[in-house]
Amino acid sequence: MSRRPFIAAALALMAFLGCNTPETHVRRSSLMDYLYPKQKAAPMPDPAGARLKLPLKLGVAFVPGGSASWRVQNLMAPGQEKQLLDVVKRSFQDRPWISEIKLIPSAYLRAGGGFENMDQVARMYGVDVMALVSVDQVQNTDPRWYSFTYLSIVGAYVLPGDANDTNTLIDAAVYDVASHTFLLRAPGQSQVKGSSTWAYREKQLREHSAKGLELAMTDLAKNLDAEVGAFKAEVARGERKDVDVVDRQGVSLRQSGGRNFGGSTSWIEVLGALALLGFALRLRRA
Amino acid sequence: MDVLTLTAEALREPWRLWTGHLVHFGWEHALANAVALAVPWILVAPRDRRRLALGTLILPPLLSVLLLPSLGGGEYRGASGLACALWALVGLRLAVRNESALGLMMLAGLLVKLAAETVVGGGVLLRAGGWSTLPAAHLWGSGLGLAAALPVQACIRHFHPRRT
Repeated sequence: MSRRPFIAAALALMAFLGCNTPETHVRRSSLMDYLYPKQKAAPMPDPAGARLKLPLKLGVAFVPGGSASWRVQNLMAPGQEKQLLDVVKRSFQDRPWISEIKLIPSAYLRAGGGFENMDQVARMYGVDVMALVSVDQVQNTDPRWYSFTYLSIVGAYVLPGDANDTNTLIDAAVYDVASHTFLLRAPGQSQVKGSSTWAYREKQLREHSAKGLELAMTDLAKNLDAEVGAFKAEVARGERKDVDVVDRQGVSLRQSGGRNFGGSTSWIEVLGALALLGFALRLRRA
Repeated sequence: MDVLTLTAEALREPWRLWTGHLVHFGWEHALANAVALAVPWILVAPRDRRRLALGTLILPPLLSVLLLPSLGGGEYRGASGLACALWALVGLRLAVRNESALGLMMLAGLLVKLAAETVVGGGVLLRAGGWSTLPAAHLWGSGLGLAAALPVQACIRHFHPRRT
């Protein structure tokens, strides 16, 4: 009895299994690894706490992942980093408590650079607080039942036998530069699903990676806004003993209890009043 | 804390009862309130000007005292509570005299403002300078303005009965 059919069947089975093994790609940058590298003792924040004077100058940067910066790891296309940070910048540029938002290239942040590196970059850009963005992206590829058609070569180019899903979690932690006090954090997440042929799997994964990051950044911007509101309320209630916020008039949010009230007339009301005045003066002339 | 703003300290520093309505959180805040204050002064009938001046002097401390419980540990700045009082005063006097529809229009405008603040929650929204509108100031101001206009109207009717 010839062994050839068995060998051919075994090779085909191996090829089949090789084509259809689920794959996972992980891209990760860790805030903890950047700010608190294991070989160094974690510096203590200033016991006096943070005193934030409004309006703030905010710096936003991706923390480096692993041994190189996030961008250098080829995890983002050139120019995409700025595009992503712009999402956060656009969301906050009209906020009265922020005077300026600086986008800091991740190339300026050293892997494991710690607070020393953060201080250097903050001095360079002249920012009061830093939002450090870390990313955790997992991409899974699962074969569908008909992915065995890849063996026909034509199927690898025609039939979408790969189910790809990309889960992205972005976390922004905001620190006061002067006191190294942790102020607040906000998450952003996204999930992108799709199918691809074997031949276009990598292309789709790259596209989904970029899209996942963009969606997660948009989610982050929304959550960050809500977290800032909650943070201000906490400071006003005196629940954050380590932080005080001083407004443009020099009034401490903690001392005023966050309850600065004003009797105000909106501009719509002013226009209405002026219209009424114009009507009245016309009436008198008549 | 500013020495002119209205705070709980006003009980020991009474000038705050007046000055709290003069200081503002910024020029935009002050300008809008100044326009709102100017309108009743322009529209008031000449014979009511003295009454209006008296109201402008007397109503601020009364309004301040009414606002103190709402402030907690905070402070108050702005003249719009007083503006509401003057709008109510002048509006009611013009409306009762029935000289034109102007008085009714002023009162209607005031009512729309108060209703909008109640529905939208003007006190919840945080303004640019980190402060929020106190709708109670407008509500109390309007009430005081109406109260200041009513006795005047009653006196007019008493001393000048309508001819039949």
